[in-house]
Amino acid sequence: MLAAVGVIASAVWSTYAEVEDARRQRRDASDLARRLTSLKLVTFEYALIRQERALAQYREISNRIDGMFAASRFQGPAQQEIVARLRSGRTLANQIFDELAAAFQGETPNRADLEPSRNFEAQLLSRLSILQQDNLSDVFRLTDLTTEQSNAAQQRLLVVILSGLALIALITLGVSWLIHRDVLVPVARLQQAAQQVAAGNWTTEFGAGGSDEIGQLTRDLGRMTQALRDALARVERSNQELAALNRELEAFSYSVSHDLRAPLRSMDGFSLALLEDYGVRLDDEGKDFLRRIRAASQRMGHLIDDMLSLSQVTRSELRPEPVDLGEMARGIAEALGQRNEGRKVHWQIDDRLTVRADQALIHIAMQNLLDNAWKFTSRTPEATIRVGMREQDGRQAYFVADNGAGFDMAYADKLFDAFQRLHHAGDFPGTGIGLAIVQRVLQRHDGAVWAEAAQGKGATFFFTIGQPEHEHRRPGHPAG
Amino acid sequence: MNIADQGILLVEDSPDDAKLTLRAFKQSNIANPIALVNDGVEALDFLFARGAYADRSGKPLPMLVVLDLKLPRLDGLGVLKAMRADDRTRLIPVVVMTSSKEDRDVVASYASGANSYVRKPVDFAEFVEAAKLLGIYWLMLNQPLPAHFAK
Repeated sequence: MLAAVGVIASAVWSTYAEVEDARRQRRDASDLARRLTSLKLVTFEYALIRQERALAQYREISNRIDGMFAASRFQGPAQQEIVARLRSGRTLANQIFDELAAAFQGETPNRADLEPSRNFEAQLLSRLSILQQDNLSDVFRLTDLTTEQSNAAQQRLLVVILSGLALIALITLGVSWLIHRDVLVPVARLQQAAQQVAAGNWTTEFGAGGSDEIGQLTRDLGRMTQALRDALARVERSNQELAALNRELEAFSYSVSHDLRAPLRSMDGFSLALLEDYGVRLDDEGKDFLRRIRAASQRMGHLIDDMLSLSQVTRSELRPEPVDLGEMARGIAEALGQRNEGRKVHWQIDDRLTVRADQALIHIAMQNLLDNAWKFTSRTPEATIRVGMREQDGRQAYFVADNGAGFDMAYADKLFDAFQRLHHAGDFPGTGIGLAIVQRVLQRHDGAVWAEAAQGKGATFFFTIGQPEHEHRRPGHPAG
Repeated sequence: MNIADQGILLVEDSPDDAKLTLRAFKQSNIANPIALVNDGVEALDFLFARGAYADRSGKPLPMLVVLDLKLPRLDGLGVLKAMRADDRTRLIPVVVMTSSKEDRDVVASYASGANSYVRKPVDFAEFVEAAKLLGIYWLMLNQPLPAHFAK
């Protein structure tokens, strides 16, 4: 493209130079014509008045014309021929003029000689006049020729400019066709394929592509999609494995629920039957052994039930809706009071504790937290249980606080593990699954649970529900 | 016909559970005759007087069926569906009594036409309590269908 523009520019430039040259030649020719006319007039003037001034003028003009001939650069064979004729014509004219001048100066006042010399002078003058006229004609012809030359050059310039423009148009057309073929069409194809992939059609092929940058990009995108496809297939496989595991777990819990409890029922039932039907034949130790068998069977029954509810919390589908934790806590508190009529507990439950959560699951969590608070205040004279909310780190932390037995914070990290107990079963009964269930419920709500406590001074369980609205800044972070 | 003459059909594959259930009924002063079958196919044979129970033809149907869910050959839900599909047994009260408290078992039982769902507790004292309540409700308080409808 750049080369084409260069070629066109140099063509235009050289044609323009030709035009300029032709113009200059015409100007020179016109100048010559003017000077030759002046020379002719001066010759006549001299012939009439015969003064030295006219002679000097003639010489000056004649010299200047000679100088012009020397400087002129007329081109073309016709011009050269004319110039050669003009040169010889000029030389001849100057000779005749010199003779004439000599004749005028050698003229004597002698009347007798006057007649023949006059004739000679007239002859010379007439020859000179004819010669000068011829020269003038030649110069006019030269002028015509140079004018033609100039016109022709101008036409050539026009042709060169027009063909240059046509060439540029042609090149532009060609380039845009190339861009269309090599850039726009592949880019459109690429875009279409990318849209297909974005729409989830992972099997879209990007093709091989050309050897240019777009081809490279096409291959890169193809490779990227392939990598994504592989990753997706891997995720799909692990999802299938997970689903299979889940089904297995479900079958396992189902089997546990049915089959593991049956032997326990036999152990408990027949121990009781033994006590009832054959009690009279057993001493106190024998009866105590049977009671221990029953207690152990029942404890294992509770463990199995709690394990099952833990797995149920994990498996059940989440249906979030607005839930008033205060109202829920009051309901649970009332039920606890009815079941244990001998106990006096002071309840402080705040209003407006509405969260967005799964009603059934959050009820299980609240039930466990309040059961715990109730259980661990059983030996506290002025038992108080509080349910409320406080702002912490820009998040709403709900809490269940009691002034009961509490625990040593050194063991706080074990608190939420399944089957971990911080108290002896003889002091406070339980299977050690309750808080694991609470944590599982809150994890399923994208929340968290933690505790603050001191031995003998009560415990407070905090929990959050849902992700924070915006990530709060971490104080003390070097970048922050 | 005396109410106490009308029997109870207990469908239970575990001998231990069967023995304990019978003991619980006995302790609850349920004096009705109790027939025991060990799986779902036997249960249907008993109800429809087929196979080994062909001689039951013409005898009165039980007034209550106590049904375990996990049974060999045909499970409890299968028995329930077959009973509800047959005019002769469609209206007999069925109490599902099983170990599981899985939601899906409870839902499936009621959806298949169970009248009650009782979970067998590990603690036998509780079991006796449950059996007692069942007996009081289904055998004493519940008004049975007129005899000509039950046929």
